[in-house]
Amino acid sequence: MSAVVHAHPETGPVLGVADTGPVKNRSVLSEAGHRNQWWRFVLILAITAIVLVPIMVTVVLAFTPGPNSTSTGFTLENFGSVFSETLAATWLQNSLITTLSTVIVSVAVAAPAGYVLSRGRSKAVSGYSLLLFVMQSLPIITSVVPLFILFAGMGLVDNLMGLTIIYVGSTMTVATWMMAAYFDSIPISLEEASWIDGCSVFGSFTKVVLRNSLPGILSTAIFAFLLAWNDYLVAIVFLRSTEIFTLPMGVQSFFQQNQTDWTSVMALAVIMMLPPVIVFATLNKYFSVGGIGGSLAGR
Amino acid sequence: MSVTTAQNGLSRARRGVAPGGPGGPANRKSRLSAQTSRTFFWLLLPSVILLVLIHGYPLVYAGIQATHDGSLISTGNFVGADNFANVLGSDAFWKAARFTLMFTIVGVFGSWLVGLGLALLLRTKIPAGGTFKVLLLLPWVVPIVVSSTAWNWLVATPDSLIPSLFRNLGLGTPLFLADPTLAAVTVMVFKVWVSFPFMMMMISAALASVDTTVYEAASMDGATRWQQFSQITLPLIARSTYISWILMTIFCVNDFPTIYLLTGGGPVDATTSLVVLAYRSVFQDFQTGPGVAIAFLMTMTLVVISVLLYRQIRKSSVE
Repeated sequence: MSAVVHAHPETGPVLGVADTGPVKNRSVLSEAGHRNQWWRFVLILAITAIVLVPIMVTVVLAFTPGPNSTSTGFTLENFGSVFSETLAATWLQNSLITTLSTVIVSVAVAAPAGYVLSRGRSKAVSGYSLLLFVMQSLPIITSVVPLFILFAGMGLVDNLMGLTIIYVGSTMTVATWMMAAYFDSIPISLEEASWIDGCSVFGSFTKVVLRNSLPGILSTAIFAFLLAWNDYLVAIVFLRSTEIFTLPMGVQSFFQQNQTDWTSVMALAVIMMLPPVIVFATLNKYFSVGGIGGSLAGR
Repeated sequence: MSVTTAQNGLSRARRGVAPGGPGGPANRKSRLSAQTSRTFFWLLLPSVILLVLIHGYPLVYAGIQATHDGSLISTGNFVGADNFANVLGSDAFWKAARFTLMFTIVGVFGSWLVGLGLALLLRTKIPAGGTFKVLLLLPWVVPIVVSSTAWNWLVATPDSLIPSLFRNLGLGTPLFLADPTLAAVTVMVFKVWVSFPFMMMMISAALASVDTTVYEAASMDGATRWQQFSQITLPLIARSTYISWILMTIFCVNDFPTIYLLTGGGPVDATTSLVVLAYRSVFQDFQTGPGVAIAFLMTMTLVVISVLLYRQIRKSSVE
């Protein structure tokens, strides 16, 4: 505000110049603007190139012949060897199973709860909303230890179902907010119309609200997908046997050997980063971090 | 007291976003109360069960463990606050706390500054600006396990690419992961690299909603670039800034993979954060008591920080 105030004493004389100024200055400005535009292009190009070095290195190495290879230049043999010599296929399958189950269950739990948070106005509902906020900020390491002991007794350690349960639990807090924030944007008049037609509350939720919530469901699903696909902490605690590993554990297992086979590990790394990159490339309009932040802000 | 404050903020924020406006809820409630609350109960039930199982039960059990000298197999004997006293009296804890603090400060503000700079740059007219915006999000999209592998390849040994580059430029051979100070710096730079896209997205979203005519009016009034930025842009994105700081603080304090995958907490514990320390204490030294006590202390700190920043959000939304 102070800038505006400081400028005021000069307003009188400046105003006279400003009246004719813009017209005369325009051509000069746009030429300078054009130059600036290219200068900024070069700057952002340089920054992007530097930022992406680690990712480019991963991709390049994945297609580079390994130390024992006879071929030169571009090759696909790292991908072949990583699948034939390690359990990569199993790890990929394990990761896909856990991640997809997490996404489905997480949305199935978060959508109805988010609806209640969005439409309910009782003390209990806002209390529950606060509880979710507090729970999500707790470090996962606090709950991992007790859950490890609990799950050990139930045979859920070293087990993909146990892993999925924890992923669903840790995604549900934020997922619920995201769904609630989306439902907030759906006008209640739609439901009211269906109630007049004799629809139940549950009926209006499934038939009216959910049917209009695809973008909200997609962003929640993407959030759950990324969390489950990328997780390392829960996996390293709960998974023991190589054939139960998910991809992050699989990639890490390369570093337990004396000599890291870099070209193979990079091939597996490329396989691991493909699904998130594809999801991001195709669904990036639903990929709203702003949505996550916004849903936190709103609640 | 702090909880009530947060709750007030919460319900107020909720009222702010309610589509029906403040008058809506009361009307609706009277119309279909009994059936509605029954349906609401069933809709909420799965979520409540999961919250109790995955968050509630472990928290209570963690409370028990923190006051016992147990292991992963047995609960052990009740030792009262001994675990907390031991933890608070140990050098390892304070060393880890110092590192966590540094890591969090650099992680939050480093990624915020980089994100802010790029968001401002990308807001201006640039050829292929949209493409850059998407490409710059990649560090956040790519799994940490993958990017830490790449970073390891780039810096881990003296013969890795980056140290060789330094050597060829006559700058010596920096041991990025072997020298304690340099390892700490490397981990923080890695964290900023991973997190800045998140900040960039948050800030871009906030900037998109700023009405650009404000700037025209300000520049006509003679406001300098810096004045426009500090007096207009920053206040307008303050709310989303505080939210992104809260989230990033939580992300940084709770972070495990970024640190553990790059350095494993070493060399000589130089990059051991509280989470890494807690993890080691439980799963490598098999002492649940101290590990859980560390996690509890972290939790308390996080809740305090969240509530403080939460107040800032409320203040900024009032202005």
